[in-house]
Amino acid sequence: MALYLVKRLAAAAVTAILASLIVFVLVRSVPGDVVAQMLGQTSDPTAERALREFFGLDRPMYRQYLNWLSSVLAGDLGVSWTRGHPVWQMIRDALFVTLQVGFMTLLVGTLVGVPLGVIAGIYEGRWLDRFIQSFNLIGLAAPVFWVGLMLLVGVSSLFGWSPPLLYVPPSQSLSENLAILALPIVSLGLLQAAAYSQFVRQNVVSAFHQDYVRTAIAKGVPTRIVFFRHILRNIGIPLVTFMGLILIQILGGTVIIESLFALPGLGRLLLSSIEARDYPVLQGGLLVVVLIAMTVNLAVDLLYRVIDPRVRLT
Amino acid sequence: MLDATWLKRLGRRMAASLFCLATFAGSYAAHAQDLYGPLAKSPRTGGTLTMGSLLEPPGLDPFHQGADARIRVTVLMYQGLFYESPNGDATPLLAESYTLSPNKLDYTIKLRKGVKFHTGQTMTAKDVAYSYNHIRDPKNGSPGAGDFGMVTAVTVVDDHTVKITLSEPNVTLPLTLGNKYGAVIPAGYFDAPDAKTKLNQVSVGTGPFKLAEFKPNSNLLLARNADYWEKGAPYLDQINFIFLPNSASMLVALTNKRVDLAALTRPQDVRQVERVPGLKIERWPSLNQKALDLGSEYGPLSNVGVRQAIALAVDKDEIMRASIGGFGQTIGTMVAAMQDRWGVPVTDLPNQKLDIVKAKKLLADAGHPNGLDLNLTTIIGYDWMDPAAVTLREQLAKAGIRLNIQRIDLGVWIKNFQSKQMGLTFNDWATQPDPSLLFYRHFHMTPKGADFRNWKNEAASKLLGDGRAESDPAKRKEIYARFQKELATTVPTIMLFSADHVTVRSDKVQNYVQHPTGWFYGLARTYLAQ
Amino acid sequence: MTTIVHPSAKLQVSPVGLMQRLKREPDLVIGIVLLVAVAMVALFPSLFAGQSPLSINIDKALEPPSAAHLFGTDDVGRDVFARVIHGARVTLSICAGALIISAIAGGGLGLISGFAGGRGDLLLGRVVDVILSFPPVILGIMVTGILGPKTINLVFALATVYMPVFFRIARSGALSEVGQTYVEAARSIGLAEHRILFRHVLRNVMPLILVQYVILFPLVLQIQAALGFLGLGVQPPTPDWGAILQQSKDYIVLAPWMSAFPGLAILVSALALMLVGRALQRRLDRR
Repeated sequence: MALYLVKRLAAAAVTAILASLIVFVLVRSVPGDVVAQMLGQTSDPTAERALREFFGLDRPMYRQYLNWLSSVLAGDLGVSWTRGHPVWQMIRDALFVTLQVGFMTLLVGTLVGVPLGVIAGIYEGRWLDRFIQSFNLIGLAAPVFWVGLMLLVGVSSLFGWSPPLLYVPPSQSLSENLAILALPIVSLGLLQAAAYSQFVRQNVVSAFHQDYVRTAIAKGVPTRIVFFRHILRNIGIPLVTFMGLILIQILGGTVIIESLFALPGLGRLLLSSIEARDYPVLQGGLLVVVLIAMTVNLAVDLLYRVIDPRVRLT
Repeated sequence: MLDATWLKRLGRRMAASLFCLATFAGSYAAHAQDLYGPLAKSPRTGGTLTMGSLLEPPGLDPFHQGADARIRVTVLMYQGLFYESPNGDATPLLAESYTLSPNKLDYTIKLRKGVKFHTGQTMTAKDVAYSYNHIRDPKNGSPGAGDFGMVTAVTVVDDHTVKITLSEPNVTLPLTLGNKYGAVIPAGYFDAPDAKTKLNQVSVGTGPFKLAEFKPNSNLLLARNADYWEKGAPYLDQINFIFLPNSASMLVALTNKRVDLAALTRPQDVRQVERVPGLKIERWPSLNQKALDLGSEYGPLSNVGVRQAIALAVDKDEIMRASIGGFGQTIGTMVAAMQDRWGVPVTDLPNQKLDIVKAKKLLADAGHPNGLDLNLTTIIGYDWMDPAAVTLREQLAKAGIRLNIQRIDLGVWIKNFQSKQMGLTFNDWATQPDPSLLFYRHFHMTPKGADFRNWKNEAASKLLGDGRAESDPAKRKEIYARFQKELATTVPTIMLFSADHVTVRSDKVQNYVQHPTGWFYGLARTYLAQ
Repeated sequence: MTTIVHPSAKLQVSPVGLMQRLKREPDLVIGIVLLVAVAMVALFPSLFAGQSPLSINIDKALEPPSAAHLFGTDDVGRDVFARVIHGARVTLSICAGALIISAIAGGGLGLISGFAGGRGDLLLGRVVDVILSFPPVILGIMVTGILGPKTINLVFALATVYMPVFFRIARSGALSEVGQTYVEAARSIGLAEHRILFRHVLRNVMPLILVQYVILFPLVLQIQAALGFLGLGVQPPTPDWGAILQQSKDYIVLAPWMSAFPGLAILVSALALMLVGRALQRRLDRR
């Protein structure tokens, strides 16, 4: 096991370097750069040359990559070319917002979705199950930004209320923080509840069809005990890994919600740095997102291996 | 939204706006001497104003700001020697007065005394000389360097006097010493390696507000400068600019009073807040123009007949109604806010009226009897361009020109612009209130000008050179009139309309006057009623 | 002996009457009905929409739904109903096309990589891991930025996002086939590698890819709409559901119908695809 872990970590390190290369190449392939943005409609070749030199854009591509990589490995993500703030600070603040949205959405989704899924699974085939499944499917099919937009405008017209505009962390003012996040979490959360509900339902249904469960029921064990002893335990782990995957989705998937609800999260940061061609922020941000996603994947993978020793592919 | 009532309301709105325009034109004249906006009669000091903005400044460095629409906020923190008065005069700001030498090449400028930087130090001539020498040296990368091309030297005469020497007479120098590019900052500021980016966190100007906080994708907080040289100003304690990602959020915020003031980038959004109680809507003339540029380097456009044909097929009014709901004025060859002082009446200009028959004939004469295909470039993020593009497409189709619309990213568009490969594209830019600053760089032949549209018009260039040097206002007006006729005849660009600046404010916001450049000067004279 | 299952066998509908099918798998029937309806609209838009989706009439801008305009008009006076109907073809063909490219390129690569193994497979696997970790919308934005604003580039951008998924599916499918006895048997009789690959392994992996195609379709639809919403969709004036939503979001208070109907269209199409996809997945699992 230990050897396997070391091998996996080594492979992960190599993949991380590969990730940095892919991120760099992708970012630099987008035409236009920050100098063009800064100079705007004025064109002065000397000014342009001076600015490019200032940003190091005149050096050969591989040099720029190696410089960036070496500072990243030393722990320095650089400074934003347009804002002047340190990149790490910007990413950290934005990540906090995105993760807060992500976790609270996860919470809402779980609190609403899991019970619904369990009920649907237990009453498989009956009217209640079909009703819940319809809700699930509609939730899965609805475009997130459309739901969010309708909610924002609907709440404003009906109740004369709209969220406060400036994000404050919960440590500063919990009520304000919740007020800002209410609408985005409700829209995302309901849609996620649909996904969880469907997932849980599938698992509950297939668990009920297992031989040992049917045997237990046939022997007369009350359904309630069967449910809590066997079924819940079995869906616990798949659910956790499923949530891990959803978490990754959240990291990138919040771009639209953040754009709609004016949240200063990572998605919006990446979007605005693409527009501004702010390479340090864009490269750093993308690298962080990719590495987090890869770490979660690795963790999920390892978890599977720990749980199920039968799975031993090279 | 039925036809009749909608039209009637539109008519009433237009009448009301014309009335507003008239009163404001009047008030501009009356308060020409008031810097930044009219002095309030009995202002209440204090309070924080929350302003909603769809545009976030990419940076707060006045020396490296390119994109027009984003300069709006820096003018509250940084000041140049002169202020661009709405009527076109350069009013002394950090300067107190100036004299011009008989050969018109030397400006001796006396500086205002008792001016302090946000850092606490007092301004002297050394700082002024450093600042302007820094801008005009292209090696420092300032986009303003080009505008200072005619300056040969900026020297310190004594602690409170500087001398600026030109290579040839140029009456626009005072306006160039205004607030568009650069400002006066402490001498030696840019010696530190991180100086440029540090400006996004700490301001070092002389303006009525200082930078308190700048959070990307969030907000920009300005705080009153307690040491500001004009006593009694500004009135507000703080201004908080909140960056909103789209119009829907902005309108919802306005309706629910989350923001006190907003300058709408899409004037037609006004219709969505018209009926909200407690909100006041105001329209202001602008120095902005939306234009259709025709780069002569683009194949068929090299033929003047083709360009004229396009001009004759364009219905400016329909495009304006489609893209900004009619909240503006169609123009001929001069931006709306300068039409009275400098503009040639549209009826005196050629190629302004729709004439499809003549357009088709011109195309045929130019070798396109069966019409032709052209690419039209528009910029992602400039909302007005989308409806304008589809409307233009329908209009030109009537003359046999088939447009293929291509939306491109701003960064890519700027690259094309700088390398003079604009092709057929929409453009959106504003000017300072002087015809030379409006026309010279864009339309004068290289090497003196940039001639972005490859017009290569010698007669026009000569007129522009003369206009720049001529100090007599009547003669200047005549020179620019001839230039405008040349512009309308050979069509390197078709100026479509100037969109009004539309501001929406809650009742408690008092005395905000929107400057025609679109910059937020007026906030220095704004106060909050109780 | 492994029977080589041909794709047609999987999709055979057993001879059960429609009513019984409706009782057993109502969601499949509903899904197919909706899908057929959507496909009809996409293939024959002029049958459904009388007016032109392109003609402008500024005087009639932003009118609410009425008899003349079922879904109202947009900000330049175009009929929203016509735009949504014609938009079906544009949106769905972009998504379908992107997924086909994805399936062929990604699936093909995955198949070869899994079958051949070795260093190349390892490296490709790592690259795929990285790409899969990118947020899909951001990846789409960047690739469109790199390639340029043409519609065809949007197709490529979407294809790039999902290529890794097909790669993984095809690769794992190929890997599990490689261990099967029939492959060993084929090799022992001297059958050329590529023949084994294309004749036999592919046939067994094909159903997996097909089902994945249907399952991914609603996701691609949503991502394409999201990209359109951000302004990276089809070039105007061509109607496309995401692009219509982008124009309409600014008029949401004045003219909510401009946003409501395209959103509904996306929902219905995604729903139809999901229902059919789930039914197919069930059949696959039973195999």
